[in-house]
Amino acid sequence: MTLHVVIIGAGSTGAAVAHDLTLRGYRVTVVERGEVACETTGRNHGLLHSGARYVLNDPPAARECAEDNALMRKLMPDILELNGGLFVALNEEDLSYKEAFLEACAQAGVPAEEIPIKEALRLEPNLNPRILAAVKVQDGVFDPFHFTLAFLATAKHHGAAVHTYTEVVDLVWNGRSVSGVKVRDRRDGREYAIGADLVVNAAGPWAGRIGAMAHVHIAVLPVAGTMVAVGRRWVRRVINRLCPPCDGGIIVPQRRNSVVGTTSWPVENPDYIAIPPEQVEAMLAAGEEFIPGFRSAPLRGISAAARPLLHESSQLVTADPGARGVTRGFSCFNHARDGAPGLFSIIGGKTTTSRLMAEVMGDVINEATGITNPCRTREVPLLPYHAFYV
Amino acid sequence: MRTLNLCILRGGPGRPAAYQTYRITVDEHLNILDAVQKVWATQDPTLLFRHACHHASCGLCGVRVNGRERLMCLTPIAEFPDGATVTLEPLRNFPWVGDLVVDVKPLMERMAAIQAPYVRRDELTAGGEEGTRFEDCIECGLCMSACPVVGSDSAYLGPSPLAMIKRLLEEPRGRDIRSLCLLAGDAHGAWRCHSVMECVEVCPSHVDPSQAIGWLRRYLILRGRRQPAEAQRR
Amino acid sequence: MERSLPYRPVSEHVARTPWWRRAAAWADLHGRREGWLAFILMRLTGIGLVFYLFLHLTVLSTLARGPQAWDAFIALARSPLFVAFDGVLIFGMLYHGLNGLRVILLGLGVGSRRQAELFWGAFVLSIVLTAVAVRMILMMG
Repeated sequence: MTLHVVIIGAGSTGAAVAHDLTLRGYRVTVVERGEVACETTGRNHGLLHSGARYVLNDPPAARECAEDNALMRKLMPDILELNGGLFVALNEEDLSYKEAFLEACAQAGVPAEEIPIKEALRLEPNLNPRILAAVKVQDGVFDPFHFTLAFLATAKHHGAAVHTYTEVVDLVWNGRSVSGVKVRDRRDGREYAIGADLVVNAAGPWAGRIGAMAHVHIAVLPVAGTMVAVGRRWVRRVINRLCPPCDGGIIVPQRRNSVVGTTSWPVENPDYIAIPPEQVEAMLAAGEEFIPGFRSAPLRGISAAARPLLHESSQLVTADPGARGVTRGFSCFNHARDGAPGLFSIIGGKTTTSRLMAEVMGDVINEATGITNPCRTREVPLLPYHAFYV
Repeated sequence: MRTLNLCILRGGPGRPAAYQTYRITVDEHLNILDAVQKVWATQDPTLLFRHACHHASCGLCGVRVNGRERLMCLTPIAEFPDGATVTLEPLRNFPWVGDLVVDVKPLMERMAAIQAPYVRRDELTAGGEEGTRFEDCIECGLCMSACPVVGSDSAYLGPSPLAMIKRLLEEPRGRDIRSLCLLAGDAHGAWRCHSVMECVEVCPSHVDPSQAIGWLRRYLILRGRRQPAEAQRR
Repeated sequence: MERSLPYRPVSEHVARTPWWRRAAAWADLHGRREGWLAFILMRLTGIGLVFYLFLHLTVLSTLARGPQAWDAFIALARSPLFVAFDGVLIFGMLYHGLNGLRVILLGLGVGSRRQAELFWGAFVLSIVLTAVAVRMILMMG
């Protein structure tokens, strides 16, 4: 008998889980209160991480990135702009990290190659000529909406149903276990229940709200990041600052624009994030450090969305107000141990590794259901994103 | 801070259509999209709108701002004086889902029919090894809404799909040129355009569909002259 | 017979709307710019010129009814109202012709970034030439 799984949230995580579970033979329904990828996923940098960004502070995450970066290149070539990336040292302090950085890249299996500064400036003529070192890595660029859509398109063609503008208002219980969701169709206000054998909470920064419906405490810390786009393609590849994760450390070229980001500050309500003007200013200044004249290009939008970072206790937040120290990894929970059998949560992570996150979630679900179908997302290529609509 | 009256067309299939005005105060360095999101988050959770990237890359937040097709994320608050009324309506010519949301499926079907590519070679920065970059077209549908021909001939391929065909014919990368020419040369293809030019004016992303359609016409004429010779050789 | 297309109409709603209502939507100038205005004027002057062609033939047919009928018409044609009609007609012909040149250029992909200037050029030139023509008519009259 086919088990029915309802996935709450159509960000990159929910979409990848839908793809993974349909390939394992589950019947999948995705419910999303807005448009696909309309919040956290939609407003991420669109950077297919080489992993190098995390080698210094989170080597396991770096390794995961490197592995899935290589995989996604094969699985969704028409979604990715495989233009590579550079890590550049802008000052002596950055330069002091170089040896450790190269060492850590080698250990984490992240391909990285130091290149002469002259070569870096030939590749990127607009780059600040005063850079002190340059390391070539295998970054890529994608549009997060289309990235997510590709997963959902493939899931749909394997039988998944995707309901957008459908908000979960409550969970449905069968005795003491979760057996579905009660949803409201935001287009007409109609409320109805969707029965399910399992419910996966992939609601990102809102995962806590879904957890609360089952009286499960999920400690998600919504941490916002600001990004600023300018209307000129200053660089052809991703430019990272050679330092541990810092504000304004990355410039991503998107079409004829350049997007600089990001910042990191905890927010109360992820529904609406008012971007402080000084953050826009700080991002433009950061862009100026990489590329003299960066801010002379016209402004092409400013954005911020909350990342769902998982923290074990609230002390972590006060100890590190910017929350840069909180893990970029992800966690999968089977809430049977919290008194809500049938409910699962997947929280945290990065869009780059959403396939891997879904694989782990699928394994957790298989373990709970006793189904042994293995993960197939490493082999099955994704359909073009247009297929979502056809 | 600036206070605006957002006059939004609400409703949808099976719901009556009516304008509803929200008074909202937002920072003036933000955009209309932020104002709409603030309305949704603080005043009316039933409001439907589409958005994702907030920097003109996903192509989701296209609406008509005071009658004109624009991306809400590229419409600065600072453009409007304090206390101004800004009218927001969904895009025309697409099926209406509700409030500011339309169903972009017809556009996506067209793009799928011509097997639109997603990345292209980088010719914007000079020298060095070859990079790739995304197509200019973000498939936001603004041109489809602004085009009177799309509004009167619903089988018209439309400005952005035609511009995409031009891109593919320029750089086919193994695609079937003949079927692309059939689509472009169809009565609902490049010849249907009336040069109203609104597609060029509303495009937020450097695509010039009118120029592309002209290119296609020249291409089709020249190809028509070449083809008899090709046929004879066979 | 129409070839079947690999995509559906933009909107079933549009496809079901009668043609005259779809055409009427062209007159909705809210939020539109020069290109649309040029398009609407092109349609209006085109329809006007077709109408004039038949009017012209009707007027010429009065010749068949003898010199009196023709003189009566000429007297009417000298009235200020009729000269105003002449002005509108001349503007229509000039605009339709000049904008026609603009559309030929744009239709072949030339000058799309300068289309608004081309429109204003055609428009203003039509008005100036109309004024000159009307002056000539008045001086002859």
